[in-house]
Amino acid sequence: MAQIDWFPLALSLRVALIATAFVVLVGVALGWLLARRRFFGRELLDAAVTLPLVLPPTVLGYYLLVLLGRRSPIGQAIQAVTGRSLVFTWEGAVVAAIIGALPLMVKTSRAAIAAVDTNLENAARTLGQSELRVFWRVTMPLASRGIIAAAMLAFARALGDFGATLMVAGDIPGRTQTAAIAIFDAAQAGRDDYALVLVLILSAVALALVYSTNKLTAGER
Amino acid sequence: MSLSIKIRKVLGSSGGHRTSQNRELSGAPDTGAFSLDVEFDVPSGFTILFGASGSGKTTTLKAISGIVRPDAGRIAIDNEVLFDSAERVDLPIRARGVGFVFQDLALFPHLSALANVEFGMSGLSRAERRQRAQATMEALRISHTTERKPRQISGGEAQRVALARALASQPRILLLDEPLSAIDEATKRGIIADLKSINRELRLPIVYVTHSREEAVSLGERVIVYEQGRVVASGEPVSVFGTPVTASVARLTGVENIFNALVVSKSENAGTITVEISDARGTCRVDVPFGNQAPGEHVTIAVPSGDILLATEEPRSTSLRNRLRGKIVTIDEELNRTVVRVEAGVMWSASVTRQAVTELELSEGKQVWLAFKTHSCYLVDRTS
Repeated sequence: MAQIDWFPLALSLRVALIATAFVVLVGVALGWLLARRRFFGRELLDAAVTLPLVLPPTVLGYYLLVLLGRRSPIGQAIQAVTGRSLVFTWEGAVVAAIIGALPLMVKTSRAAIAAVDTNLENAARTLGQSELRVFWRVTMPLASRGIIAAAMLAFARALGDFGATLMVAGDIPGRTQTAAIAIFDAAQAGRDDYALVLVLILSAVALALVYSTNKLTAGER
Repeated sequence: MSLSIKIRKVLGSSGGHRTSQNRELSGAPDTGAFSLDVEFDVPSGFTILFGASGSGKTTTLKAISGIVRPDAGRIAIDNEVLFDSAERVDLPIRARGVGFVFQDLALFPHLSALANVEFGMSGLSRAERRQRAQATMEALRISHTTERKPRQISGGEAQRVALARALASQPRILLLDEPLSAIDEATKRGIIADLKSINRELRLPIVYVTHSREEAVSLGERVIVYEQGRVVASGEPVSVFGTPVTASVARLTGVENIFNALVVSKSENAGTITVEISDARGTCRVDVPFGNQAPGEHVTIAVPSGDILLATEEPRSTSLRNRLRGKIVTIDEELNRTVVRVEAGVMWSASVTRQAVTELELSEGKQVWLAFKTHSCYLVDRTS
């Protein structure tokens, strides 16, 4: 094995970090909405957000291709703003990772927020606090373990996305080839040593993340 | 300052409520839907909401604070409307200026006692906040807890921290939901003294929910008795507890001897009626004050156990009209009294001191006389 190509790993890391940042923002907001607000179609929204967890990755990838493609309004809007399409770019991989990781984030933060005693939030309101302050000063601190755990799981999930990423971003070495896809390529081409290096690194990272998530949530209450 | 309340809300076991509300309802004897329908004014000082759990007391506090939205009604502090279903006014919780001490205290577990007390004082500088919080905590004698988290302090201290937190936000009215239910007697007395001095100092309208007769009597300037979402009695504690107007109030306020009875005769001269009480064991007759009942009518009478005299011989030369011979069945030591149950036709309860038990050599199976005045018997309305 001559030179190890670190690009796929670096790309995966970058994609996962950006996707996680986005997923945390949207996921916590959705988690709060689902845990604390009653509205028409609440459980339908939860189901829709959960769907990527159970659908085949190729189905997700297909949806994303259609949504981000040149013929969809979303695709056209992105084209108009950025001057290019997200399809077959590393940014497309970010979108795929977001969709894959969102269910974990939403589910886990919904549970964490729902576990916060509403009496405490009401107490904060009687003390003159606005909804935003109640969220930041009471809900968030008390749900933080669960939310941090959720973010780590989401990161782990985003780091390893394969199917949807392959369909949306393609497999362009040096441009869109993430670690998970590089492993597939390497295994196909008989470069087993290289595949093994990536496999071991991804496994170690995933193990560390899941282990610390468990540690975090087991310490609750 | 005065709070006026008129609210109606359907409460029930079926959905539509958040879990925090259902907690209070879970103890209701009848889990079917009933409605809260009350109207009263709260002047400055203590107003005690008294009643069994599930009667709607906590829901009333939650409606005042805005946590629960009534179906209809009006809630106002002086002329400022907090809620009015007709005018579609519904101020958010934070804008109502209501201090609320929750039954479970709802102290923020992630913050120190001091940070809890400072929590509601946004809009002040850091130094001012600290100063006011410390002054409030000092007044309630909890300065030593400032750096500790809620789980590291005792029940009584936690209670005071919750009180300090509510007071430090300078509320216009104060709502206290069974604040002393989980506290030992000695601490309770201390906090009651503190509450009284807070009341003297601030003269806020204070609504105090409890089902303890002692708390109601020692704090209450006014008592409002709830039953199944309705106000069934109100007034000064002495009159509400001393002369219960309904069987349910009598039961709620701790009058132990409540019997259904039949009017057998009526003596216009003596101003009394004679009623016959009977149950599975037997019967007995007692004289009760004159009412508008006629012979043959069914009534309910209530006799506080503390008004019954126990004697080992027949107490002949007294003014006591009711004298019953019976046998002691049980003698139970309670917190600050001894309850003797005597079978005299029907089962009676008399409370005496421990000393009396020793001096009269009372024991189970012993023959005794029960005696009580006609006017210790209350004819109470029957509520189904």
